[in-house]
Amino acid sequence: MNVIFGLVLILSTAVMVFINPDGVLSAMLLGGEKALDLTMKMVVIYAVWLGVFALLEQSKLSNFFAKALKPVNKFLFGPLPEKASDFISLNISANMLGMSGATTPMGIKAIEELEKHPNTEYAITMFFVINATSIQIIPSSVMALRSSMGSLSPADIIIPTILATLISSIVGIILVKVFVKKPKSKLNRYV
Amino acid sequence: MSKYFIPVLFLIIFIVSVIKKVKPYDAFTLGAKSAIPFAVSIFPYLVSIFVLTELFEISGISSLLTKALTPFFNLMGIPTELTKLVLIKPFSGSGSLAILTEIFTKYGTDSYLARSACVIYGSSETVFYIAAVYFANAKTKKLLTPILISLFASFCSCVFACFICRLM
Repeated sequence: MNVIFGLVLILSTAVMVFINPDGVLSAMLLGGEKALDLTMKMVVIYAVWLGVFALLEQSKLSNFFAKALKPVNKFLFGPLPEKASDFISLNISANMLGMSGATTPMGIKAIEELEKHPNTEYAITMFFVINATSIQIIPSSVMALRSSMGSLSPADIIIPTILATLISSIVGIILVKVFVKKPKSKLNRYV
Repeated sequence: MSKYFIPVLFLIIFIVSVIKKVKPYDAFTLGAKSAIPFAVSIFPYLVSIFVLTELFEISGISSLLTKALTPFFNLMGIPTELTKLVLIKPFSGSGSLAILTEIFTKYGTDSYLARSACVIYGSSETVFYIAAVYFANAKTKKLLTPILISLFASFCSCVFACFICRLM
């Protein structure tokens, strides 16, 4: 991240010095403003979702999602600590259903939980790649926008989108399996 | 059908938590409370990403990069009109949504370009944003491998999107 950030920062600022020196600071401030806008929106979304999730957790309903996704989790991540497995399952379920507000808080909690245990670099990388390659089943927001702008068959992108999503996820999963070492440790090492 | 999904799911959660004798008010408030520290910890990372995106756009480097990569993208079957979307998507959700809307108005919502754009938009994620937010509280900052893998995988799905929309 530091490499990419540094490179783009230096290059764009250098160009701006020549073409538009006044624009540097204002562009940076505009970026900050947009970040604040988004954060404000996120606080509200997180508050509602985390409230619902607290109910889900305390009523032990979250175990249900973890149990349902157990085979998938086992294939992707190998043995997982119990709490991390709960958060990962909720994140993946929310992702697939396109509940974008719910995915982020669960994702952050899952990574925090994974980091408490040794040898989880593989699981963390896999988890990130799955989130970053999109596993949404129904592209509902795109379809809504399309139909509002006059599309005659807004749903005809569903199958191509599912296929394309599958391709990116499969490529991502294979690359993680090839390039990141999976720890050989058994489950009891985590506990 | 899908409009019932969230309310019904919530209803089930609310009923089960009451049956299981969870104190709903206490639990919900406790959950909602953690949203503030969450947002606070994420904010600086969002600022960094957004500052970078703004500079990248306004300096013209992004359009330069778009131009430079267009021949390669064309070779892979991605039309020139869509290269900007492919490049902006990993950085900015709102930016790519604006481009998608622009493509809709320019070429119609049911054209090949619009459908490919939809599939590209729907099948990829804002990789840099997710990296910034998900790892905001994490100790590891070794993000290069996961980011490169995700970007490559997303690019594959973009190529595939332009191909499949020719057929379907």
